[in-house]
Amino acid sequence: MSRPEPAPNRHFDTDAIRRGAIACLPLLPSTMIFGAVLGVLATQRGLSLGELLFMSLTVFAGSAQFVSVDLWRETIPVATIIIATAVINLRYVLIGASLRPVFRGRPLWVKICGMHMVADENWAVTMTQKNLANPGFLLGGGIFLGIVWAIGNTAGYLLGGGIPDPNVYALDFAFTAVFAALTVGTWKGKIDLLPWTAAAIGSLIGHYTLPGTWSILAGAGAGVIVAALTWRKDIDGPSPKGEIAPDGFSATEGNYSTEAGK
Amino acid sequence: MTFPDLTHFELEAVLTILGMAAVTYSMRLGGLIMADRLPQTGRWAHVLERLPGAVLISVWVPSALSAGPIGIAGAATTVITMIISRNLFAAMIAGMVLVAVGRYFIGN
Repeated sequence: MSRPEPAPNRHFDTDAIRRGAIACLPLLPSTMIFGAVLGVLATQRGLSLGELLFMSLTVFAGSAQFVSVDLWRETIPVATIIIATAVINLRYVLIGASLRPVFRGRPLWVKICGMHMVADENWAVTMTQKNLANPGFLLGGGIFLGIVWAIGNTAGYLLGGGIPDPNVYALDFAFTAVFAALTVGTWKGKIDLLPWTAAAIGSLIGHYTLPGTWSILAGAGAGVIVAALTWRKDIDGPSPKGEIAPDGFSATEGNYSTEAGK
Repeated sequence: MTFPDLTHFELEAVLTILGMAAVTYSMRLGGLIMADRLPQTGRWAHVLERLPGAVLISVWVPSALSAGPIGIAGAATTVITMIISRNLFAAMIAGMVLVAVGRYFIGN
């Protein structure tokens, strides 16, 4: 180390950005392939490559982009596309809310800069970290996924087909797998059991009765209600205070963290 | 090699994309700003702490179940591997290999 150690509470330090990017490495193949599938779809719907990349870097939300590009026509159904995007991405209100500990004590501009590159994947990876309060880690994962996503888009667009079918290598299952695995890291104890059960039941009911991604909101809503109902004064753990969240309340979690190597 | 396509932007397309970006970003930032206004302790803090798990479960449980028995077995394998190894990559590979092999031999 030739340069001085950065202060631990630098807003976006390069080391945290690098670690965030590395932590999202397992998502490279599936992100790349699905990016390519979107690129192929874009050629069929008449988006230019520039427009697609512009969308990927400004919207940066896979499932909403798939639906939007699929709806895309010569005369663009603007309102339909924007409403569909809003509905599919409503979950980001919840994801944004759950990122509170990551941005605790940070100024508004850090939140404004840090909240753009938030996809489901780097959010989930960040939430299972031992030391949550690190917007650089979140941003690093987002930048990495954004680059991979854009490269995938470009490859799919230029090849226009001939890319491997994601289903053959179970790459479609990669997203299910990553979210299932990361759920393990968010377990804080048996207090989670009832809200999680409610979330599972709620999302399944939503899946079979509601269209599209409403199941996520149904499940999360059920989980939130049950969590609110099961709260008692005496179960309050140590409350996070100060600039950096303490690790105490997640001592057994987050072994996946790259923090350990420091 | 040039990509003329790269510089081709139609106004309507750009405006549509900006609209999509605006609604998405405002929900990302809006959720965080809203949560900042909630109390740091007590019932709301407890609910916020349960939120990541609840959202994650709601994302993958329906897709695992709709992928049939192979999907359920794959998700179970992933979770168990994660509990044992605490390694995201190992857990993903275990689940994906099971699903790929299952599809190859049994079909969907």
